[in-house]
Amino acid sequence: MNNNQYFFEYLQNSPPIIELVWFMIGVSLLSILILIIYLKYLRTHLRSNEKIRETYQMKYELHLITYLYSGNEEETISPEQQTIIDELKKDLSDSFKRSIVVATLLKLKNEISGELDESIQKLYYQTGLINFSISKLRSRKWYVVAKGVRELTQFHIKEVHDEVITLINHPKNEVRKEMQLYLVNLFSFKGLDFLDVLQTPLSEWDQIQLLEVLQRFDDQQVFDIKPWLKSSNDSVVTFALKLADIYIQFQAKEDLIELLDHKSEKIRIELINVLGNLNIIEAKTILKNHFIERSQQEQIAFFKMMEKMPESDDESFLLEYIHHENFEIKLSALKILKMINSNTFNIQKHKGTEPDFVKIVEYLENN
Amino acid sequence: MVDIKKIVIAEDNSLLSSLLKFRLEKEGYKLLVAENGKDAIELIEQHQPELILTDIMMPFVSGLEVISHVRNKLNMLTPIIVFSAAGQEEIVLKAFNLGGTDFMSKPISPNELVIRIKRLLR
Repeated sequence: MNNNQYFFEYLQNSPPIIELVWFMIGVSLLSILILIIYLKYLRTHLRSNEKIRETYQMKYELHLITYLYSGNEEETISPEQQTIIDELKKDLSDSFKRSIVVATLLKLKNEISGELDESIQKLYYQTGLINFSISKLRSRKWYVVAKGVRELTQFHIKEVHDEVITLINHPKNEVRKEMQLYLVNLFSFKGLDFLDVLQTPLSEWDQIQLLEVLQRFDDQQVFDIKPWLKSSNDSVVTFALKLADIYIQFQAKEDLIELLDHKSEKIRIELINVLGNLNIIEAKTILKNHFIERSQQEQIAFFKMMEKMPESDDESFLLEYIHHENFEIKLSALKILKMINSNTFNIQKHKGTEPDFVKIVEYLENN
Repeated sequence: MVDIKKIVIAEDNSLLSSLLKFRLEKEGYKLLVAENGKDAIELIEQHQPELILTDIMMPFVSGLEVISHVRNKLNMLTPIIVFSAAGQEEIVLKAFNLGGTDFMSKPISPNELVIRIKRLLR
């Protein structure tokens, strides 16, 4: 008691700055205390949530296994299955329980195939879970829409195609990405038709994900990249070039050559690389004739292309560039020259004294 | 008295292992379930099963380590069926080099698995 009195007297007699410091210390200690209590509550809440989740997960896992193995031969719903469907239906009105049911179905759906996979699909319909996924497409929150599309993809629901495709130019990239993955996962190369009308950019990551999905399908030759090469959306053109390269779309040769005059330098460079991979000789002649008008990056890309398809006819053209100021062009020109005519290379190697030229010649002779 | 054959299944997806346990017990096998490679090794050492089913990717000890332990440490010739996911072709080759007997790519067909098990335990 005396101590407290002494402290209050001390505060009353202290200058205002000391009072302020004590006040701040008091506020800080109180804040820390409140924060500790809140964190403790949060931890307890999360742990209890996790426990509840685990309990429901076990319950639904058991329901699912029982459902899968209690079917009858006539393919109708057995009484046991109907009981499980009714119980699940009751729980689905609660979004927390619904999310656990969906996670449980997916946990097994991705791991098994055949009849049991089909049964899980049936259960998704019978419980009405499909309606919850479809209703998510109409949500105002973009992340709910994206989640809805993802669920429809994971459960292979093809019949909502027309509704999903309306999201093609959704302002949120995440929603567009899910929509694209839905189309490609469920409709394979046919799903790429969305590229015809895509106005928003297709990011590099989106493109990689689409290619990753496409490589799982065997019907690789039933698509036509020509309309996409003419797209006003540069990212669609870039993606079409990747498809041309990976799936060797030699039949689009004419359209690819036309793209050499595309307004984007990035696309022209990518195109030159693809033309080289597809070994389209006609493009080489066109590029040679207008070489000077091309940017330096295109010129470098062209020399890389020539490295892939060296011909003896190239000699006179190469001789013009073995002393070029750009190192990469010089290196490529000498490399190709050595490939197509070692005699000319041996004559020319003595004609240069510039340090880079000498280094390149030394390198090529030793490799 | 019928001799019940024991199978150890090492799979970290509890739902898949429960489903396979249910299915294979209906076929007359005794299933011993492990959620990771470490537990699987303990079960194998303890029960000397007639067949081992193992996933490749598991916490603590992988499927490859389980195969290696069975073949090199325990010197057991027990048939081992490996479960792999798409894109794990190189790891499957490693599993075969270590002594894996057969492999099944996920998603797995339980009916096909039963046929393979019956063939191996004939």
